[in-house]
Amino acid sequence: MESNDERLAIREVRLGATRAEGGTREVSYAIGGERDLPFSGKRPERLLVALEICDDPQFWPPVVRDYVGDLANDTAEWARAAERTYGADLVRLNFTSTKQRGFDAFGAIAATTEEVLAATARPLIVEGSNEPELDSEVFRRSGEAGEGERLLLGTAEADRYRSVAAAALAYGHAVIAQSPIDVNLAKQLNILLRETGVPQDRIVIDPYTGALGYGFEYTYSVMERIRLAALAGDADLAMPMISAPTDTLSIREVREAAPADREAMAVAWEFYTAYAAVVAGASIVCVRHPLTVARLKTALEG
Amino acid sequence: MAMKALDIYKHLPKTNCKKCGYPTCLAFAMKLAVGKADVEACPDLEAEARTLLGGVTRPPVRLVTIGTGERSVAVGEEFVLFRHEKTFYHPPGIVVQVSDAWPDDEVRSVVEMVEETVVHRVGQDLVLNGVAVKYESNLPERFAEVVTLAGGGNSLPLALIADDPGALEAALAVAGHYRPLIHAATEENHEALAALAKRYGCPLAVRAADPAELAALAGKCADAGVPDIVLDPAPSSLAGFVAIATDIRKAAIGRTEPALGYPLSIDAGAFGDADAAIAAGILKYAGIIVVPPLSPASVEAALTLRQNIYTDPQKPIQVTPGIYPINEPGRNAPVLLTVNFSLTYFTLLGYLEASRIPCYLFIADTEGLSVLTAVAGGKLTETLVADSIKEFGVGDLVDHRLLVIPGYAAPLSGKIEDATGWKVLVGPRDAADLPGYLETEWKT
Repeated sequence: MESNDERLAIREVRLGATRAEGGTREVSYAIGGERDLPFSGKRPERLLVALEICDDPQFWPPVVRDYVGDLANDTAEWARAAERTYGADLVRLNFTSTKQRGFDAFGAIAATTEEVLAATARPLIVEGSNEPELDSEVFRRSGEAGEGERLLLGTAEADRYRSVAAAALAYGHAVIAQSPIDVNLAKQLNILLRETGVPQDRIVIDPYTGALGYGFEYTYSVMERIRLAALAGDADLAMPMISAPTDTLSIREVREAAPADREAMAVAWEFYTAYAAVVAGASIVCVRHPLTVARLKTALEG
Repeated sequence: MAMKALDIYKHLPKTNCKKCGYPTCLAFAMKLAVGKADVEACPDLEAEARTLLGGVTRPPVRLVTIGTGERSVAVGEEFVLFRHEKTFYHPPGIVVQVSDAWPDDEVRSVVEMVEETVVHRVGQDLVLNGVAVKYESNLPERFAEVVTLAGGGNSLPLALIADDPGALEAALAVAGHYRPLIHAATEENHEALAALAKRYGCPLAVRAADPAELAALAGKCADAGVPDIVLDPAPSSLAGFVAIATDIRKAAIGRTEPALGYPLSIDAGAFGDADAAIAAGILKYAGIIVVPPLSPASVEAALTLRQNIYTDPQKPIQVTPGIYPINEPGRNAPVLLTVNFSLTYFTLLGYLEASRIPCYLFIADTEGLSVLTAVAGGKLTETLVADSIKEFGVGDLVDHRLLVIPGYAAPLSGKIEDATGWKVLVGPRDAADLPGYLETEWKT
């Protein structure tokens, strides 16, 4: 499957911007660029591990809250620790505050984005709201606050992609395009984004990651099929992939584990799921437990 | 590449003698084409045809059995590179390694752990498969002693990890008739080890870092009379393992190198993170995974990943239709209609359990189809809902007559009301929105 034909490569997407590139990051990453199956042929520059944090911990898994303690109440410090203490390549900031009923603190969205950008020197992934009526304002505020930093903004879905696409276009960011574990739907969404004007080198595919034991095999095979379709020349699927096993920490095995075993179970479950996603072709894996970050980094170097 | 049934048929005697066990030569040819029959079953084949067909009709990856009896593990006999192309058939055997340099108690506790570990998931009992005994004492009699301590192969399949023929001979005197895996023959010792494997009828692993050398070594051992071979590509990194394993499987499936048509083995303890190596082995073609003693969390995650990857994608795991109480529901709890596609069930279960909202999940038999496809394909109908309500006695469980249906089934709401007499509430399309929906909309 190795080929010199440029069209067969997965497109490179650049995340983050250094001072020379018009931002303030110490590093920027190029993901994608593969021309073969994962781990075969030309290896990508690096595989990235993101630690997810949030601005309202009441909507976060207890097993992570227990581990990070007071950090959960200080988003900027949490972001700093993600990079300096836990060794994450990127931070993924989730605006869980928007889940509160009647949320209207849009000013805080911009302020938090700025604080987190100041607290970490790594590229940033920003996860906006899950509410269609809040989307446009949340994405605009966070997108504007991160202008020039080449954020990865999420998440675009088939029935709500315009707000995130608009913010990405207005402020120069990349977009996470999430579809529900289906090759054709992934392709369709990429076409919609393209028609909206989002350049293809600013799209990262999220095929949706089912938890291990709860449908992960579908995700795994869809990721393999997306990668094979791209290598066979389908330009609308030739984007790097991101995987976030977000359901993993709320499954029965973790919730019902004895208190002494819960942390080990959470980390094992996140680790196996995220590592398998990398083998299926993910360029970025996002996890929530800090201990999983270090383990993934070691494994991906080995 | 594999031959088509009609091309195979041309080489058969076309006598329909049934001596092969199939009613016609064509039926036999069809079985041969998919690797499900052995060409040797035909007694009337000419030598030339036998050689030709033997080469193209055997499974591209040979089936190798380790151990005997009910806990024996059969690996290999795989046909595809990616599980979505068909399915993977034989889940890798996970064998936990002990050392003959360890105290007896430590060995015994690992063996007991392997014997007793069972993880129950969706109707299956997932187990670890065996014990690998590593020769580190430099005393052949101690090696044999620890092999005996590990059950001698009588209860659990064994892998004997040593490169010294003398130590292996001592261990095989104890365990040889239980088909342990001899691990591993190298360029230096392969003649002695192949002779031992042949004498005891045991499977033999061969180890070489280069696929061409590995193929040559496997060929030599096969020529020496050892049919059951396992390949250890001795990778220097995990990325290297995935790449080499993929190349070997490609060569086997494409039949470009018959001497690579055997199951692989990986030593997970040889890498920086054993769990990553176990995952890589499960995902990318290992037949035997040798692991260090694992934490309970790792065992559970590893066995679950193996179950996921070896699930047949053409036959999604279906949930048994019926009523599933969640969070101890009472007589005013909502009844939520859904389908018996396992992914739908698991997703709903996850959100509902996490929400702590007491409810009944009412699973109709849509033959494993998702909501969207079941509605579009006419599998989820008002008749099915009405019949299922009666069959499962839903009316006896609750005092109300309100049925929450999936958002994608909205077009059926009127028909379901007419057919059942229940008032229908159209729920959200996305399982993630269900707890929020119930909090705001559910009132009895």
